[in-house]
Amino acid sequence: MSQIPQPFVPVESNDPMVVPKRVAMVRPDTRPTIRRREEKFVMTFPHLIIREVIMFQVVVIGLAVIALLFNAPLEGLANPLETPNPSKAPWYFLGLQELLHYFPPVVAGVVIPGLVVVALVVIPYARINLVAGPLWSGDRAKLRNGIAAVTVALTVLFAAFQCWAIVVPTLMVAAAMFVARGEGKGQPFRRFLTQVTLPEWIMTWFVLVATVLTLIGTFFRGPGWSLVWPWNMYPPA
Amino acid sequence: MLDETADSLPELTPGEETRRQFLTKVGLGACVMTGLGAALTVADYLEPKVLFEPPTSFRAGNVADFPEGTVRFNQEQKVYIVGGAAGVFAMSAVCTHLGCITRPVSGEGGIACPCHGSKFDLEGNVTHGPAPHPLPWLEVKADAAGNLTVDTSVVIPHGKALKV
Amino acid sequence: MSSFQLSALGALIRNSAVYRSIIRHGVANTNRNRSLVVFENLFLHVHPVKVREKTLKFSHTYWLGGITLVASFVLIVTGIFLMFYYHPSVPQAYRDMKELMFVVDNGVFYRNMHRWAAHLMVFGALLHMLRVFYHRAYKPPRQFNWVVGVILLLVTLLLSYTGYLLPWDQLAFWGVSVGTNMAKEAPLVGKPLRFLMLGGNIVSENALLRFYVLHCVVLPTVLLLFLSVHIWRIRKDGGVQGPPEKDASDEVEP
Repeated sequence: MSQIPQPFVPVESNDPMVVPKRVAMVRPDTRPTIRRREEKFVMTFPHLIIREVIMFQVVVIGLAVIALLFNAPLEGLANPLETPNPSKAPWYFLGLQELLHYFPPVVAGVVIPGLVVVALVVIPYARINLVAGPLWSGDRAKLRNGIAAVTVALTVLFAAFQCWAIVVPTLMVAAAMFVARGEGKGQPFRRFLTQVTLPEWIMTWFVLVATVLTLIGTFFRGPGWSLVWPWNMYPPA
Repeated sequence: MLDETADSLPELTPGEETRRQFLTKVGLGACVMTGLGAALTVADYLEPKVLFEPPTSFRAGNVADFPEGTVRFNQEQKVYIVGGAAGVFAMSAVCTHLGCITRPVSGEGGIACPCHGSKFDLEGNVTHGPAPHPLPWLEVKADAAGNLTVDTSVVIPHGKALKV
Repeated sequence: MSSFQLSALGALIRNSAVYRSIIRHGVANTNRNRSLVVFENLFLHVHPVKVREKTLKFSHTYWLGGITLVASFVLIVTGIFLMFYYHPSVPQAYRDMKELMFVVDNGVFYRNMHRWAAHLMVFGALLHMLRVFYHRAYKPPRQFNWVVGVILLLVTLLLSYTGYLLPWDQLAFWGVSVGTNMAKEAPLVGKPLRFLMLGGNIVSENALLRFYVLHCVVLPTVLLLFLSVHIWRIRKDGGVQGPPEKDASDEVEP
């Protein structure tokens, strides 16, 4: 075992008769160590399969019960001459419809959804998502100025369109980000906040804004897209 | 792709290529052309050539029916016919925001859209809300007896009312 | 036959030549046969034979992807049921809705089920996406599967939206009118795209037929294709990925 190891030269071969060998590369300045993770394995059948079957049954039974209790809506025959008031899209588009109230159609209907889709697609390819640590672990002063600048810019932009439904969640998330600066000793929730990474803050902001817009569009918009309480949505004619 | 091993290749000057490389390009080009042709054919097929949509021009009564200050809402054609100060004009009732049908507001003397809260005055100008453009005016013609015909497919500039 | 036992009948069936020709392994009471259950079966063989025990924990994935998958399965089955009574024409489509509600046995049940499963599928897909994001389960080698997931989310929304027009009631008509007018605002492609989608300038019979074809054939096919890729890649990328795992540095032994 005391022979000097030959320098290792990897060769690509197209010879079908050659059997490739696995080689462990060990840098000369390290000791070879083995990372051992005690992973316990179980048989897929029955352990996983039985859970899948139960999940399937729970979902189907749940849906059947809901279908027995609640009827799908059906309004009058479509009439191109008569717009219902208020006229609403399915719930998952009501956030967009709420945006349409503040912004021109090309912005709310094309630019913003397009940006959202692009942002979603690039998530796994953005380096920051792969290396991010807790928010305040980097250059704190630079980060503080950055967050403040972005918050002010977003607030001014949306306030200019009087879109308070976005301004308020934005300010809330910014406030939470600054709350996370401290240590959070003895307070589990604050300690949890200190561990949140920048991408997670951004996503949380997006989810919060989308949820607020959707809730407003769903429950607080009545005739003429005016603000109403949920119980006044369809006023007696 | 099918590349020969380097040793069997003749010496190539820059810009030259082997027969195989050339034929590969020709083959790929043919595939691309075929795909494009198929796509264009399908797109053309999917575009309807005859539309059975309602006719765009209709009769709208007589000039005499529209003294100054009357607004008549023709629901079937989605058109307002207005007797304005300068004469009679027709205006689309389709909201310029997202195509809902607007309605005259009783009492306030304006026009409102039920979908996103746009409001217009009786000239069609936007007074409130998300609508990006005023309601377009449509062409009105009158024959010798003063019977009006409105063509909803012809948009005319604001202010060109039919003088009587 | 006083001593008739169900287990004896089961054994009789399991030992019959026909059964043995279909299920070629014995009872799953040995690990070998348990393995065979999984990898001799077309539908189960996307699973590995063994899984890490921690993936069984509920909080590993909250089953959100699976719930979305089951919802899409329910949608396909109930959707096929609905197709037996539905004509994509005006005003017959609306009459068919009334027929389902008041004439057809269980018609209202299948229609309700289809509707609520559709909402569950959209909601489940959104929650599943958030779960994957916060668990950072999009990290290499799973980047592309995240992109496939985004495509699946868009297809899901399109499926739901095209289905929205089919009842041809006021809700459907105006929801689609407003939505397609939004598409019109897109620069350059907006207007021609809307014309192609609706088969005209207004939401009419042509639009209903096109949405029907998209909803029942084109989009489900696209969904199944990408869904297959999505599930296949989960397996190829090393199985379901739960919460970020701690470094095993404390377990290093020299």
